[in-house]
Amino acid sequence: MTAPRSMPRIAVLGNPNTGKTTLFNRLCGVRARTANFPGSTVEGRVGVHRSPAGDAELELVDLPGCYSLSIDFPESQVCRDCLDGGIDGVEPDAMLVVVDATNLRRNLQFAAQALTRRLPAVVALNMWDAASTRADRVDPAALARGLGCPVVPVSARTGEGLPALDVALDTVSGLPFGPDALVARLQKLPPADAPAPALAAWADTVVRQSMAAPGVAPEPRRDALVDRVDVALTHPFLGIAVFAVTMAALFSAIFMVASVPMDLIDLVFGTLTERVHAVLPEGILADLLADGILAGIGGVVIFLPQICLLFFLLSLLEDSGYLARAAFAVDRIMRRFGLSGPSFIPLLSSHACALPGIMSTRLIRDDRERLATILVAPFMTCSARLPVYVLLIGILSVGRPAWFAGVAFTACYALGAGAGLVSALIARRTILRGPARPLVMELPPYRIPGLRNALLVTWDRARVFLRNAGTTILAISVVMWWLSAFPRATEADDRTQQAASFAGQLGEAVQPAFAPLGFDSQLTVGVMTSFLAREVFVSTMAILAGTGADADLGDETVLQQVAAMPRADGAPVFDPPTAAAALVFFVLAMQCLPTLAVTRRETGSWKWPAIQLGWMTVVAYAGAWIAHATVAAFTGGGA
Amino acid sequence: MTSAPDPSPRPIRVPLTQLRRGQRAIVHCDAIDGLPEGDRCLLHAMGMHDECHIRVCSPGTPCIVQIDSTRLGLSADVAGRILVTPIDDAGVAGTRAP
Repeated sequence: MTAPRSMPRIAVLGNPNTGKTTLFNRLCGVRARTANFPGSTVEGRVGVHRSPAGDAELELVDLPGCYSLSIDFPESQVCRDCLDGGIDGVEPDAMLVVVDATNLRRNLQFAAQALTRRLPAVVALNMWDAASTRADRVDPAALARGLGCPVVPVSARTGEGLPALDVALDTVSGLPFGPDALVARLQKLPPADAPAPALAAWADTVVRQSMAAPGVAPEPRRDALVDRVDVALTHPFLGIAVFAVTMAALFSAIFMVASVPMDLIDLVFGTLTERVHAVLPEGILADLLADGILAGIGGVVIFLPQICLLFFLLSLLEDSGYLARAAFAVDRIMRRFGLSGPSFIPLLSSHACALPGIMSTRLIRDDRERLATILVAPFMTCSARLPVYVLLIGILSVGRPAWFAGVAFTACYALGAGAGLVSALIARRTILRGPARPLVMELPPYRIPGLRNALLVTWDRARVFLRNAGTTILAISVVMWWLSAFPRATEADDRTQQAASFAGQLGEAVQPAFAPLGFDSQLTVGVMTSFLAREVFVSTMAILAGTGADADLGDETVLQQVAAMPRADGAPVFDPPTAAAALVFFVLAMQCLPTLAVTRRETGSWKWPAIQLGWMTVVAYAGAWIAHATVAAFTGGGA
Repeated sequence: MTSAPDPSPRPIRVPLTQLRRGQRAIVHCDAIDGLPEGDRCLLHAMGMHDECHIRVCSPGTPCIVQIDSTRLGLSADVAGRILVTPIDDAGVAGTRAP
């Protein structure tokens, strides 16, 4: 993070689930970016807030939500570092402490810790729209007297109170805050190192003295309906069933809705590629642009609609309060595999794409559990595996009943998830030994999610995805293009070029290692070229079968031609044992270089991607060998 | 010389997991052991400090409790380590004879 010192910096902090990020989004809109705090995996956001008149700008730093500034958790450390100026050597000019007006007693305990810092501060009394209708509401002016700093009632959801917050922020960030001001504030606060019961007693007193209606005691809500919903959503069976239905609906929506923009992106990149070939003279430059750069960028951008939809829907679910209940419901299952509820969201996201799944492991507090989750996330069946499944299951389904393909698809998903969970268990009992962290999580109130917030989260995540994955995959694409394009074959057809290229030669050299799985040199080339991205397997096999790289799986002829590909001895490449082995291999193998790059980035070491690649390759090879041997035993076939 | 036995009844202490839905109780954080220090501090920061009042929203393992306006989900290994004294609606603690 860098600090443009032309504008005052305001640190935004508060408990989780106070609407802090919603308020930040409301203040900064799209003028914000996600930032990693140095020396930490904790993510925060930095944005610029312009006053409505446009005459003043403030730099806002959205710090991670934390329950206490004094405990030894990464998010607390980041908050402490930021307030002490330890992030980039620059102290903030002021603090914006966001508290939930409907849960003041607990929120004020955190506010008290923050306000002991020598910084001017404003307290935003968020969710005022809900709190102001309650009989036990506080008087903001009285609360300000109790805290020794301005208190502004706001509603981040509706925008109520934001002009007043603007004025307050502008005022405090421009005023000197000397020792006298701090002493005056400290006199109203408990000591910075006060124990939890003392903090709670102080917060209780402040709330009672700030009641808008004299004589009314603050009373927590006891909502029997919420109790019943919570019991249902976290029930060992009903909760899991509700979760399964919710996830089925979520993924159906993602796959159905995303297919339209994905087809459009595919069309755009296809047209661009054709234009490049039409405009530029045939040669290396045209090939590099079309088959290297455009194919690489297109290969990433095509997944953007799914990524955006996933984050949009997950953001809605999270804002609604459901996602915390779902994580709580599956905690019991996850715990048997050395993981816990918070690992579940990243694994769930990995079913769309492992990249955002791995990035979302930042929610997991326990480092070993987080590493285990990162290591096994690529086992989950991502959307890039689907074209490969379509091809291989299509080959396996020839001459079999109609239900076979459906069962095979389901089995592939189950095999990936099962292998991931068992791998997590092995990791947690060996290299990442340790018990699953006890689950202590806040279950936020049920709320109607905000569309604006979900859109801003999606926008931000999409930018991070494109920046992180796009740059990496582009570079790798160029390298892979070079490996498949050189040395140039004397004959110009694709099949000859594939065989003559470095990638093809590598396939020939490596084929003996894959022979026990029944793979011949053509299938080995397919596996090798798809190391970059597994979906490349389909186009490689189509090229080798002589149908062209732009093969459409909807075209029966392509499937039949690939299914009928002959080995050197005339036997089919895809006999049932080999097709089954290839399918299992692709279910379990890593075959995604961007995932390795993101694992490197998230773990800060090449050791973990190396372990991830090694383990998944071993599991995939063993699984494919078992599949080959089993199917061969039943069918009597196999190369 | 031996001291006379204390005639006052002692508050009952039971694991949180034994409470029924809707039941209220007072937490004894001094009795929480076996949890990592970080998790103990987190519980305190989330509002579960000594002598705080809780209400059980969803009993069993794992369980959901309400502290003030905060709902906390606790896995079995946490809830089973927290000792509480059940109280009635008037806030009177359950006791057992000395």
